[in-house]
Amino acid sequence: MKFVIGHLSKSFDKKAVLKDIDFSFEEGKIYGLLGRNGAGKTTLFNCLNGDLRPDGGRFWFEEEAGPRNAVPEDIGYVLSTPTVPEFMTGREFLKFFMDIHEGRIRDPRPLDEYFDYMSIDAEDRDKLLKDYSHGMKNKMQMLINIIAKPNLLLLDEPLTSLDVVVAEEMKGLLRSLKGERITIFSTHIMDLALDLCDEIVLLNHGVLEIVDKSDLDGKEFKERILAALREESHA
Amino acid sequence: MLKTLRLSFALRNTYRVNSILYSIKQMPLLRRVIPGTVYQIRGFKIFANVISAVWELVSAFLGKYLYFLIMIGGWMGLYRLPAGAGGRAFLHMLMFLSLAGMLLNTYMFNPTKDKYYAMILLGMDAREYTLVNFFYAILKVLAGFALCGFLFGLPVGCAPWQCLLIPFFVAGLKLLMAAYALRDYEKRKNMRNENEPGKCAWLLIALCVAAAYGLPALRVFVPAEASVAVMCAGALLGLLSVRRILAFQDYRLMYKELLAGMPLLVQMGGKAAAKVQQEQSLKNISADRSITSSKKGFEYLNELFVRRHKKILWRSAKRIALAELVLLAGCLLAFPFVPGLRAGINELLVTSLPYFVFVMYFLNRGTGFTAALFINCDHSLLTYSFYKQPGFILKLFQIRLREIVKVNLLPGAGMGAGLALLLYASGGTDAPLEYGLLFVSVVCMGIFFSVHYLTLYYLLQPYNAGTELKSGTYKAVTWATYLVSWAMIQVKLPILLFGVLMIAFCVIYCVVASILVYRFAPKTFRLRM
Repeated sequence: MKFVIGHLSKSFDKKAVLKDIDFSFEEGKIYGLLGRNGAGKTTLFNCLNGDLRPDGGRFWFEEEAGPRNAVPEDIGYVLSTPTVPEFMTGREFLKFFMDIHEGRIRDPRPLDEYFDYMSIDAEDRDKLLKDYSHGMKNKMQMLINIIAKPNLLLLDEPLTSLDVVVAEEMKGLLRSLKGERITIFSTHIMDLALDLCDEIVLLNHGVLEIVDKSDLDGKEFKERILAALREESHA
Repeated sequence: MLKTLRLSFALRNTYRVNSILYSIKQMPLLRRVIPGTVYQIRGFKIFANVISAVWELVSAFLGKYLYFLIMIGGWMGLYRLPAGAGGRAFLHMLMFLSLAGMLLNTYMFNPTKDKYYAMILLGMDAREYTLVNFFYAILKVLAGFALCGFLFGLPVGCAPWQCLLIPFFVAGLKLLMAAYALRDYEKRKNMRNENEPGKCAWLLIALCVAAAYGLPALRVFVPAEASVAVMCAGALLGLLSVRRILAFQDYRLMYKELLAGMPLLVQMGGKAAAKVQQEQSLKNISADRSITSSKKGFEYLNELFVRRHKKILWRSAKRIALAELVLLAGCLLAFPFVPGLRAGINELLVTSLPYFVFVMYFLNRGTGFTAALFINCDHSLLTYSFYKQPGFILKLFQIRLREIVKVNLLPGAGMGAGLALLLYASGGTDAPLEYGLLFVSVVCMGIFFSVHYLTLYYLLQPYNAGTELKSGTYKAVTWATYLVSWAMIQVKLPILLFGVLMIAFCVIYCVVASILVYRFAPKTFRLRM
């Protein structure tokens, strides 16, 4: 399976944030999306998630049976600031999600098994989500986004502001999940991207470009990324 | 001093000009035409400067004119004053209202953004800045009240010298209050914030307002001589207060304290207000652990939402219904004692039922319902792609429509039944069918507003991810709703005709709204970015 973006563009007023995004992502890989502040990473995610209408272009999946348009169920989107319905408990939110996906989730498990999987303590499962900590909300958001096994998982700086323990748990989780899907991980932290991601993609001048890692050691690779990003600021 | 005045003018003007340009840029149609570089374009800047200058003039005079017109002239018109009492009543009201105003508005203790920019961010000399701007504000008071004092005082019989005394009295009170608050800060470190006057001040304000309006209603007036004596004293004390205001040295320290909450407000702009609303909204979620639901899917989500938000969704509806009951009982009890009331109410109901559209506009809880829906529920769930599937959006719309109608049915049915009973008790009508029509048409008004607000919410989804209300179109439509409801006050129609029209309109509106939501909501019900 591949996820292909073709000639995607988006402008605000007269500023072209996404100029001509043309890229193909492959199944089983985590892509680290790097770009400077204001480069358009969140705009790209919002377009793919259907929250913003792009000015032009399209995106689709290429499968063995042929190409098909992306539908909302294909996409999971985890934001840096976790958003969960605060008036529900963790268990209620999960039950609601399972209810409305009844018959569509492959191999559904008992609710507590999911909580165990995310290391959410038993006493927290029946608390209102408004009383959850930032890290716990983040885990709930991630859980909801992965249960349905979306083909494309968009992660917008999901590990920022998590404590080190939760951040490590999440990294392990993302690695274990990458097999059957495409994961695009946006971050400002280069070391995190290098540690977690299989490919590094730069959002540069409104277009996506991959940074070739061949024959480079870690330090040289970092320098190449920085050079590319600096070049952008002088453009 | 002059340099400070010039600088503070320039600063305030920049801030105001940019605000004007920003507002223009937010207008629904202009938004598409005006470029993002509007702040750099000379023509736009000149235009905004002209508006800013006009506003400076208008704020000196128009505000005071409206104050005199509404707060004094309007009330004097309501009381049928005995001949020759006009001047006395005018001075009476003005005196008490000015005493109340002195506790609410001195300029000096109002924590505003321009003070924060000038004294804290830009480090201008706090004493000089405050004195220059405070005395400028006092000059504006003198000019505005002098003009309006003559304009409104002379026609009601005040002597010219009494009119001349008015601006000095009002300015004197502001000077006196400022000096007192400075002394209080100096001696007891009590920081005054005129936007939060405190319980004691509110009590005094309430007493002054009650004296201003309540006593004339009972035909009791302070003698003009006494009012004049108070006014002279106010002016004199104000003059004496100038010394203390000039002598005070700790303006910088004082404003640091007064403006302590300002950085957050300035940085976040409208977001701060939205954040406060969001936090308030979260507090409304019931923590009662016994609340559960045995339903499934969206019915489960809805039931939990309604039960955990019972306080905000149902409390006001119940209070309104109770108030309707009290009013009804009051009217029924008053019928034997107040001559003409029975006939007046009967005539109102028989000929002016459209008037109650305006009443229903105010009673309807539609906007509160949709705000709670967004802030505590959709704001988070709309970030999940599953929630945006067309089938799910429409399913939830149906459930919510039922729920919002249920909440608004209580005050609607209460008003309908109450008015039908009042119609009967006030002399009734020849056609018994009209009782039924009256009840059903009032209930239909409630249903209409409920459907209206929920439809607007689904078609225009006016909030952004920060829970700020951002849609200009939504604001325009809610204003139009208000104006149409208000215009209905003027419409006079017999019950039969209005009842049939209202019911037909409600049915047609519900059908059209449902079609529109089914057609467009899957595309429009999104988070605004």
